Amino acid sequence: MNRSDLYSLTPLLILSSAAILNFFSISIKRNHKVIFAITVLSLIGDFIFLTSYSLYHQQHIDPLLVVDGFGIFNIGLILLTTLVVALMSYAYFEQREERKEEYYILLILAALGACIMVISKHFVSFFLGLEVLSVSLYSLIAYLRTRERSDEAGIKYLILAAFSSAFLLFGMSLIYATTGKMDFGGIGYYLTTTQDIPLIMMAGLGMLIVGAGFKLGVVPFHMWTPDVYEGAPTPVTAFIATVSKGGMIALLVRFFNAINGYQYESFTNLFTVLSIASMFVGNILALRQTNLKRILAYSSISHIGYLLVAFLSGGSMGAQATTFYLVAYFITTLGAFGIIATLSDQHRDAELIDDYRGLLWRRPLTAVAFSAMLLSLAGIPLTAGFIAKFYVITAGIGTQHWLLVFCLVVNSVIGLYYYIKIIAVMFDQKLQIKSAKELHPLVYVISSVTIAVLAVFLFWLGVSPEGMLSLIDDVI
Amino acid sequence: MTLNLFYFLSFLAVLSALMVVFSKNPVYSVLYLIITFFTIAGHYILLDAQFLAVVHVIVYAGAIMVLFLYVIMLLNLNRESEPHKSNILKFAAVICAGLLLVVLVGSLKGTEAIVQQSGKAGIGYVKTLGEVMFKEFLLPFEITSILLLAAMVGAVMLGKSEKTNDTI
Amino acid sequence: MKDFLWLIPTLPFLGACILIISGNANLPRRAVSIVGCGSVGAAAILTIVIMIDFLTTGQIPEYTVIVNWFSVDNLSVPIALHLDTLSLVFVFVITFVGFLIHVYSIEFMHHDESFARFFAYLNLFVSAMLMLVLADSLILMYLGWEGVGLCSYLLIGFWYEEEKNGYAARKAFIITRIGDTALAVGLFMLFAELGTLRIQDILTLAPQQWATGSTTPVTICLLLLGGAVGKSAQFPLQTWLPDAMAGPSPVSALIHAATMVTAGVYLIARMNGLYVLAPQAQLWVGIVGAITLLIAGCSALTQYDLKRVLAYSTISQIGYMFLALGIGAWSSAVFHFMIHAFFKALLFLAAGAVIMALHHEHDMFKMGGLRKQMPAVFATFLIGSASLAALPLISAGFYSKDQIIWLSFASQQSNIWFFLAAVVGAFITAIYTFRMVFLTFYGEAKTSVSHMPGNLITQPLVILAVLALFAGFIELPHTFGHVTLFSDLFSTTLPPVTLRPNVESHEWIIQTSTGLLTLVGIAMAYYFYVIQPKIADDIHASTIETHRFWYAGWRFDSLYDAIIVKPILFFARVNKHDFIDKLYSALVELSEMMSALFSRSQNGILRWYIMGIVAGAVIIITFTLIITP
Repeated sequence: MNRSDLYSLTPLLILSSAAILNFFSISIKRNHKVIFAITVLSLIGDFIFLTSYSLYHQQHIDPLLVVDGFGIFNIGLILLTTLVVALMSYAYFEQREERKEEYYILLILAALGACIMVISKHFVSFFLGLEVLSVSLYSLIAYLRTRERSDEAGIKYLILAAFSSAFLLFGMSLIYATTGKMDFGGIGYYLTTTQDIPLIMMAGLGMLIVGAGFKLGVVPFHMWTPDVYEGAPTPVTAFIATVSKGGMIALLVRFFNAINGYQYESFTNLFTVLSIASMFVGNILALRQTNLKRILAYSSISHIGYLLVAFLSGGSMGAQATTFYLVAYFITTLGAFGIIATLSDQHRDAELIDDYRGLLWRRPLTAVAFSAMLLSLAGIPLTAGFIAKFYVITAGIGTQHWLLVFCLVVNSVIGLYYYIKIIAVMFDQKLQIKSAKELHPLVYVISSVTIAVLAVFLFWLGVSPEGMLSLIDDVI
Repeated sequence: MTLNLFYFLSFLAVLSALMVVFSKNPVYSVLYLIITFFTIAGHYILLDAQFLAVVHVIVYAGAIMVLFLYVIMLLNLNRESEPHKSNILKFAAVICAGLLLVVLVGSLKGTEAIVQQSGKAGIGYVKTLGEVMFKEFLLPFEITSILLLAAMVGAVMLGKSEKTNDTI
Repeated sequence: MKDFLWLIPTLPFLGACILIISGNANLPRRAVSIVGCGSVGAAAILTIVIMIDFLTTGQIPEYTVIVNWFSVDNLSVPIALHLDTLSLVFVFVITFVGFLIHVYSIEFMHHDESFARFFAYLNLFVSAMLMLVLADSLILMYLGWEGVGLCSYLLIGFWYEEEKNGYAARKAFIITRIGDTALAVGLFMLFAELGTLRIQDILTLAPQQWATGSTTPVTICLLLLGGAVGKSAQFPLQTWLPDAMAGPSPVSALIHAATMVTAGVYLIARMNGLYVLAPQAQLWVGIVGAITLLIAGCSALTQYDLKRVLAYSTISQIGYMFLALGIGAWSSAVFHFMIHAFFKALLFLAAGAVIMALHHEHDMFKMGGLRKQMPAVFATFLIGSASLAALPLISAGFYSKDQIIWLSFASQQSNIWFFLAAVVGAFITAIYTFRMVFLTFYGEAKTSVSHMPGNLITQPLVILAVLALFAGFIELPHTFGHVTLFSDLFSTTLPPVTLRPNVESHEWIIQTSTGLLTLVGIAMAYYFYVIQPKIADDIHASTIETHRFWYAGWRFDSLYDAIIVKPILFFARVNKHDFIDKLYSALVELSEMMSALFSRSQNGILRWYIMGIVAGAVIIITFTLIITP
C-alpha cells in the first residue's frame, strides 16, 4: 500500500471517517442538525475530492480494487445519490419520534459498501462491499420500528438477502475450485485459455447470476421488492432503488467485460429471458396496484429489465447506454421518492394513490415536478428518461436484439398506463381537505430545493444530453 | 483412512442436517445443528485447516447456538406453537429442493478432470493465515471491520428499547 | 449577429411559457401585456438588427446550429436554424406585424376574462411560426407547421363558450389536417428517396438524383402542394378559412391573414428547387392559384359579414401568390406576401375596431356612415383597401400585384388562362373591396358608435397604413423607376423568372389596362352602392341563384358534406361498437387478468419467496448447464 494507492482510496477513507465522526458526535450529544450537517458536508467534500481525479485515472490496488474512470464515475454517482437521499431524509425524519441520528451512520456505511463494490475486481472485495451494503440496509429498512410493516420488511430482506448471498458465495467457491482464481482478470484468462469449460464452472457462474439477480430484483428474484419498498422508510427505499441496484449493475458490467461474457450465448440468452420476464412481470403487476411505493417497486423491476437490454448489447455502446440509463433512472427515481417523502406525514407515508388526488390544485409545483418524474420514467421526450430509453433502443438495434427491443417498446406502452394514471389522479379536480400537522416550512425548504434541482437536471439531460454523453464516453 | 473418515463425517453431516429439518421440537433442531457444525469442523481438519475448524466450533457451535437456545427458551417455542404450513407449500418445496439437488449433482459431471491444486504445506496454520490476512489482504480485513461496525450500529439501534430515547 | 438568431423563436416561446404557467389569475394585466408584447417586440428588434446588419454588410446570413440535441452512434439529432433572405422576410413580417397586432390586442382584449390565455396562445403561435420559417430541416419545419395549426385551432375557438366557434375551430383543424397528411407523406417519400430532410441537402441532392419531370419529384411536389393547399386555404381545401373568422379580430389579422395561411407559400418557395424539377406539379400550383383567386373573389362579392369579405379576399390574394409561384415568379410571390401581410393585417385590425365600436356587429348592411364618426379608422381602412384593390401608382398593393399580372403574361411558364384569371381577379377585387368600403363607411349611419378606439388601436393601424402605402416602392417595374431592391435580395436564394422573348414592350400596355380596370371596378362599386343602391338590389334580385351559390362559397361545404362527411358518419354508425377496438380491449383485459394472476404470487409469505428464488436458481443453473459453450 503506497502513497498513490492511498490517494486513490481517499474517497472511501473520507466516507468511513465521516461515519466514525458521526459516531462520536452521537456519543457526545444527540443532535439531528449536527449529524445531518456532518453527513452532508462530508458527502459534498468527498465528491469535490473526487473531481480532482483525472478521467483517465487508473490505479490498480492489487489484487482487490481498481480505481479507474468508470469506477470514479460510479462512485461520484453513488455519492451524489446518497447526498440527495440524506437531504430528503432531514425533513422526513425530523417529524418522526424515533431516534434519527444512527440513520446517517448507516446511510454512509451503505454508500461505502456500494463504492467498494463498484471498484472491485476481485470476489473478496465484491462480496465484502455487497455485505457492508446489505447489512447496513437490513437495519435501515427496519429503522422505523413503530410502523407495523417495517420490521416485517427488514426481516424479509435479511433472510432473502442472506439466502441469495449463500448462492453468491457458493458460486464463487465453485469458480474458485475450478480456476483457482478469484480476481476477474484471472477468471477471464482461464476462460479464454480453456477449451472445455467444466460444468461446475458454469454452475458457479449461474449461481453468481442468482445472487446478482436478487440484488437487482429481476424476475424471478423480484418478490421481495414491493414488500421491502413499502415497508422501508421512503428515503431508504430511494436508496435501495438506486444505489443498491446501480452498484450491482456497475459491477456486472465490469465483471462481464473482464470475462468477456458476451461471447457465451448461454449467458446472453439467459439475460434475454430475465430481461423480458422482468419487463413484462414488473409492468403487468403495476397495472392494478394502488400503492404508489409498490407501483414504483414494480416499475423498478421493469426498468432493470430495460437496463439489461442495454447491458446485453455489450461493447462500449452497451456500457454507455447502461450508464446513461442508470443516471437518468437515478435522477428520476430519487425525484419520485423525494416527493413521496416530502408529502409524508409523521404517522404514515403518502403512499396511496388517493393521497395524490387533486395534488395539482393543492401543491401545483410539487405536482408538476412529480408529473415530470413520472413522464421521465415513462420515457416521454424532453426528459432524461426519453434519451436514456432511446439510447437503449439504439444499442439494442445496433446489436440486432430485435426481440428485446420489441418487448421494450411493448412494455413502454404498458408502463405508460399506470404512470399516466397517477398523473390523471393528481389533476383530478375533487378537492380533498387534509388537516395534517405541518412542520415549520423551513424544514421543507431543503427537500423542495433538492427536488427542484433534480427536476432541472431531468429536463437538462432531456434537452441537452450531449455533455453527459461525452462524459460517459470518456470514462468508458 | 482419511477417505473413510471423510465418508463417515459426511454421512453424519447430512444425517444431522436432515434431522434439523425434520425434528418437530426446535430445541432438538438446534442440537442437531450443533452436531452438523462439529462434523463440518471435522472436515476442515481433514483439509488441514485447523484454525478454521477451531473458530468454527467456538463461534458457531459455541456462541451462536447457545444464543439460539436462549432465544428459543425465552420465546417458549414448542411443538404446539409451530405455525401451520400448507401441504401444497411443503410439496412444492420438496420438488424445488429436489430439482436443485439434481441440477447440482448434474453439474458435478466432469469435475474429475479438474486438476487438483495442492496447496502449500501448513496453509491452514494460524501463522500462514495471519500473514496472508495482514499483508496481502489487509484492506479487506479492514473492510470487514466496517462490516462489523455497520452490523453493530444496526443491532444496537434496533435492539434498544424505545423508552430510553435521549441517551445511548 | 448570427449568435442571437436562436433567441428570435425562443423569446416568444419563453413568453408563452411564463403566461401559461402564471395563468389568468396570478399576473396583473399590465404584466401580461408587458410579457406578451415585450417578448415579441424584442424578437422584432432582434430581427431588425439582423436585417440592418445584413443590409449594411451585404453578407449572406448563414445557418446556425443551435444544439446538437443528442447523438447516438452515427445518428445525430441537431436542432438547426437556417436564415437566408427568404426566411428573413418572413421573420420580419411575423415579428414586426406580430408585434403591432400584440399591441393592438392589449386594448382589443382588455375586457376579456382570459386575457393571459390569449397572449399565451398568441406568443406560442409566433414562436411556432418562427420555428416554421427558420427551420433548417423539414422535420423541424413540420413541428412549427403543426404548432401553428394547433395555435390556430386554440385561437379560433378562443371564445369556446359559443358552440359555433368550437365547430369552426374543429373544422379548421380537421381540414388542414387533410393537407398535413399529404405533406407528411411527402416528407416520408423525400426521406426514403434522399435519406435526409435537411432542406439545403435536399435542394442540392435532388437535381443529381432526378431528371426534370420524372415521376418521383412530381409526386412529392404534388404531396407538398397538398399540404400547402390545406394550410393556405386554397382550392379545394379553402372552406375552413371563412369560418375561422369566429376568432377574435387580432387573431384573424395575425394568423388568418398575415402569417399562418401563407405558410403554404413559404413551403413551395422554400422547395423551389424541387418544383423546378417538376414542371407539371408547378403548373398545378398555378392552376390551383388561378381557380382559387376567381372563386374566392366571386364569393367575396356576395358576403354580408365584414370579416368574411376579408377572409375570402385573403383566400383570393393567396391565390395570386400561388399563381405567381406556379409561373416561376418566386420573388414576386414573396413580395406580394409581404405587402399583403401589411394591408390585410391593417384591414382586419381596422375591421376589428369597427366591429368593436358597433357592439360586435358584423353585418355590413347594418353599418354605414362611419366615415365621419371614426375618421382615423376610416383613413387607414381606405388605405388598406386601396392597397388590396391595387389602386394604381399610389398603393403598395399595386406594385406587388401588378408584377404578378405582368409576369403571368410574360413568363415562359405562364399561359393565356393564367393571365386572364389574374386580370379578371384584379377587376373583381376592386369591386368587392370598395363595395365593402362604401357599405361600411358611406351612406347613413345604421348603428350607433359606442366605443371609440384608443391609442393602442390607432397607432398600429397608422404604422401599418404607412407600410401599406409606401412599402411597394422598394420594387418598381421597368416602365417607371425600375427599382429592384426587393428582388435583389433573392438573387441567390430563389431562381429568377424566365421571360418570353420580346415581351418587354407590352409591359406598359398591360399595366395601364389593369390600372384602368381597377378604376372601373371602383367606379362600379361607387355607382352601385353609393349613387344607385337600387340597381345593386335589382341585380341582386335577378341573379339570386348565383348570389346564393357564391354566398355559400360555391357550396363546397355542402358538396363535402354529401360526398365525405355523410358516408363517414354512415360508417361510424355501422361500426358503433368498433370491432377493431375489441382487439385492443381484449389486450387490456388480458393484461388485467395477468396482473391479477401475477399478484397472487406477491402474497407476502417469506417461504414462498424463498421458493421463488430456488426455482429461479434451478432454472438458471439448468440453463447454463444445458447450453454450455
